[in-house]
Amino acid sequence: MLPLGFVSAFAGFAALCLAMERHHGDALGTRRIPARRALVLRVAGWLLLALSLPLCASGWGWGMGVVAWCGTLSAAALPLVLLLSYAPRLITWLALALPPLAGLSLALRTP
Amino acid sequence: MTIHLSPHRAGRNAGIGSRSVAAILGGYGLASLAAMSLALLPGPPAEAVLWGMMASYAVMAAAVMWCFAAGSALRAWTGLLIPALPLVAWLWINVGGGA
Amino acid sequence: MKGGFRQSMAWLHTWSGLLVGWVLFAVFLTGTVSYFRAEISFWMRPELHAARVAPDAAENVLRRMHALAPSSSSWIINLPSERDPLARVFWRDPSAGGNRFRRAILDPATGEDLPARETLGGDFFYTFHYQFHHMPVLWGRWIISVCAMFMLVAILSGIVTHRRIFADFFTFRPRKGQRSWLDGHAVTAVLALPYHLMITYTGIVTLMLMTMPWGVQVAFKGDNQAFSATVFGLERPSPRSGQAAPLAPVMPMLDAASRHWGGAQPGRITVNNPGDVTSTVQVFRVDDDRLSVNRQVVSFNGVTGAMVSASGGNRPAAETRGVMVGLHRGVFGGGAMRALFFLSGLMGTVMVATGIILWAVKQRQKLGARAGAGTRLVEVLNVAAIGGLPIAMTSYLWANRLLPVEMAQRSAWEVHVFFIAWGIAAMHPLLRTHRRAWVEQLGLGAALLLLLPALNAVTTHSHLGITLPAGQWALAGLDLLALGFGAALAFAAWHVGQPVAEKRHARHPARQVNPVPAE
Repeated sequence: MLPLGFVSAFAGFAALCLAMERHHGDALGTRRIPARRALVLRVAGWLLLALSLPLCASGWGWGMGVVAWCGTLSAAALPLVLLLSYAPRLITWLALALPPLAGLSLALRTP
Repeated sequence: MTIHLSPHRAGRNAGIGSRSVAAILGGYGLASLAAMSLALLPGPPAEAVLWGMMASYAVMAAAVMWCFAAGSALRAWTGLLIPALPLVAWLWINVGGGA
Repeated sequence: MKGGFRQSMAWLHTWSGLLVGWVLFAVFLTGTVSYFRAEISFWMRPELHAARVAPDAAENVLRRMHALAPSSSSWIINLPSERDPLARVFWRDPSAGGNRFRRAILDPATGEDLPARETLGGDFFYTFHYQFHHMPVLWGRWIISVCAMFMLVAILSGIVTHRRIFADFFTFRPRKGQRSWLDGHAVTAVLALPYHLMITYTGIVTLMLMTMPWGVQVAFKGDNQAFSATVFGLERPSPRSGQAAPLAPVMPMLDAASRHWGGAQPGRITVNNPGDVTSTVQVFRVDDDRLSVNRQVVSFNGVTGAMVSASGGNRPAAETRGVMVGLHRGVFGGGAMRALFFLSGLMGTVMVATGIILWAVKQRQKLGARAGAGTRLVEVLNVAAIGGLPIAMTSYLWANRLLPVEMAQRSAWEVHVFFIAWGIAAMHPLLRTHRRAWVEQLGLGAALLLLLPALNAVTTHSHLGITLPAGQWALAGLDLLALGFGAALAFAAWHVGQPVAEKRHARHPARQVNPVPAE
């Protein structure tokens, strides 16, 4: 599914960027990141990026899924970069809210 | 990154010219040699030809980068000749000098 | 070079990118819109918008072909699909010795000719992106292949040069002058890096039979036909015997082919020597349900309808090439996949544009008024390419709607409008200051794009008011994209046009760098 794969990639990139001091400062107001939080963010970020691959493959099959995954990663990182420049405070909220919303919409659509 | 005015400007430009020729003509030559050499590998000939074609552009890109990374224009040319020699030898053996 | 490896690679990156940057921009932009080639072609022929896919299209069309071209040596029939609900047919013209093709667009429901305005449609952008126009085809392909090789070198040397790929992965700092151009260039390059490498390498590979023929010389003694026959399995059909025999029903053949592929759909039919005892029918699988473009064919005896042969699997190198070309074309995977390719293609276009702008901005920053003719030339070319090409492309769409439908040489005139518009756009920056040139060209491009849906509404019955409620996304999409790009260009024009004076009075003592420096 594109939406889930996309949302997972977006949340993953958001976590990875929140684990970086400069972006943490932009998004949350302070550059100081507790060591534990940085670790959690990093691990969660990579896991979510990895998770987006099987999500893409589930809709397209593995051959096309890998291609779609590459495109999805690019497509998910782009809005994040724009948000960081123009509305950094939104990032945390979107990253937290989008995955459950996407999951819910999928659950409602499949009977 | 632009060419600065300097007493060595003429020499530098000659070096860039020589490297550019090495990169474009030499690089294409080396890529062609690689394509031909791979085309003669054992197995179905059409397959070998295709592998050679597809790989040759990576060879060319590497050659171009080498030409501008090398310490001098002379080294750039030498670095192209060294891998070219065994390829030419391999072609010579397989095709026979005349063909 | 002096200054170490990274610095010499930075030099190589700058010059390999700049020298061919304008060609690359044009190739990237026309290539990117070509992902929607079928949709553009459809949009440009409003007479066909009522056509719908019909299940018995193949039979209807073949019936018509018997009347259209009874003595032709071969028919090629592209079956309608969701993306392109028309039957596009070609046949060898017997009166031209069988060497020239004639074409028609047929209604899948009736088989009748659908008269549509004469236009090249999206094919113009598509062929332009690998061979230009008004130029011998081989020249265009060679020039673009060489430019693509420069691009490959620019990408590789750019990766080596970019020290902080991971640290700066998400970094874009707007309104910081030169810094912003560098960020924009790096971000669009890095975020879609796999795409940029893929599209460049596969683009070169697509034309490799032309640029790297030497392997065929040594392994096949230069016999290109023998090589092609082995790789692509092309067989020359036997000549007509002159003994008439009716063509067997084609629907059972399509079903048999589909069963052979495990349910995949047929996309094209060719009939050799129709109506003759020697006739054969080849059924090709659709090419948008898999990565590789290598064709899958099932051949039938045209008189008995019996299956004769089926193409088998490809060997690894042939399959690799097929996948590379397939990745470049990006026709598989449906609308969502196409949207992803399109987005990556746009990022590539922006990467090239920001790269060549960055060079000019840096020169101005460093040299100021001392910058010479070289800088000025780059600035003029930048406006001509980045500002001018969208104007030319949109003018082409405007011409499609405004030129009289019955006009002689109509499709040629659409192309003339494209080049005339681009030519004027290329002259214009010579007469204006750099900033005015940007504002005016971006503004004109924005106006043409934003007004395109309105023009469409005035000149056709398939405008947004109709296509949106009907869910005709292929048609509505083009209008909506025009609005989106128009808004983006309008924003860019406004941004560049911000008065310089304000910034001079900025608090910072250091001179602020403007996105596009004034003269």
